[in-house]
Amino acid sequence: MADNSTVESTAAPERKPGKADGRRLRSERTRRLIVEAYMALVRENRQMPTAVQIAERAGYSVRSIFERFPDLDALRLAATDYAIAEGRAQGGLRDLDADRATRVKSQVETRGQGCERWLPLWRVLSANLSESSEELRERIRLVRQLVTMRLEFMFKPELSTLSEGERRKTLLALEAITDYESWGRMRELHGLSFEQACAVWISAIDGLLPPTPASS
Amino acid sequence: MAAIVGATLKPARIDGRRQRSERTRQTIVEAYLALLRDNPQIPTAAQIAERAGYSIRSVFERFPDLLALRIAATDHAFAIGNAQAVPHDIDGDRPTRLRSQVETRAHTCEQWLPLWRALNANQGESSELKVRIRLARELIMKRLELMYRPELSTLSELERRRILIALEALTDFESWARMRELYGLSFERACALWIRIIDRLLPPTPAVS
Repeated sequence: MADNSTVESTAAPERKPGKADGRRLRSERTRRLIVEAYMALVRENRQMPTAVQIAERAGYSVRSIFERFPDLDALRLAATDYAIAEGRAQGGLRDLDADRATRVKSQVETRGQGCERWLPLWRVLSANLSESSEELRERIRLVRQLVTMRLEFMFKPELSTLSEGERRKTLLALEAITDYESWGRMRELHGLSFEQACAVWISAIDGLLPPTPASS
Repeated sequence: MAAIVGATLKPARIDGRRQRSERTRQTIVEAYLALLRDNPQIPTAAQIAERAGYSIRSVFERFPDLLALRIAATDHAFAIGNAQAVPHDIDGDRPTRLRSQVETRAHTCEQWLPLWRALNANQGESSELKVRIRLARELIMKRLELMYRPELSTLSELERRRILIALEALTDFESWARMRELYGLSFERACALWIRIIDRLLPPTPAVS
């Protein structure tokens, strides 16, 4: 791919790549604006937006949307990829080498902020999952894997003291307790503030993890 | 005399009609639930009618719309679920209570997960469904509270609430589904995992119980 573009740029007149690049950039920008409009609508209305709503919000025609995305499932998939990339950038690993209390707090606060930001999209994604494309289901699995991998990194000292089976059980439990919907229930059903909800998770994680080995 | 005969016959006739109508309603609700178990998509009126062995008109004579049918199905499921999940072994020792609570909850998750998913996926449209979902969660919390009373009684109100919220999250329908569908655990292994983790989350059992 990279090789092809190099050949084209040397063979073609100077202006052409510029024009093509400009067109590509504009098209890419339109695509991004449509995805952002989709996500803004999901956050506001907490349900799957229609093509008309997305077009209106993005400031394009419905036709423009379907020129860039063959159907709304493809748009949903693009929004998911965008969210995964943004979530990974925002949820960078911090305090990896800190003491247990700092790591637990850091993990919980990052996850809490992630849930605050992405819960509406998560709900739209995971609703009626059985009717969704295999690609979308794959993305959901990927998100869960990323969450589990993060837990594994953050609590490596404690998890390293466990057998493979016990480590797996602990990770499954940590993932279940810190699930998006678990956060949603704390905030919406139990009426906890962000800090109170974090305190619930901190207490549960601390209770689940084995003692920190002396060397770490 | 005629009046007396009429008076005795009429209620019986009405009762018979009422019973038949109730039976039809029940069959429609059961058809709806069976379809949800077979296929997680919300069934259409035509599918429900076909499965129940009635006409679409019969379905809408008993339920003004599909939302009303979904609410009736939810109530029916909750009634059965509650009857099946009657707390056992409340006075058992800690391992017995753990096993009893986990196995009962696991059976509930196995049986009612498709309906639970359908409810959650479509709750946005109905405050009545939202109330039922909230009620179901409250019942789960109450059951946890009842089963682990000895351990929870040793905690402050704040700590008790925190543990209950964590236990509820852990033993949620979707947590069960992930163990079974995503991680491929058998029923027994999934139960063993919950037992192990709940045991770790709970404080020590006080000596008196």
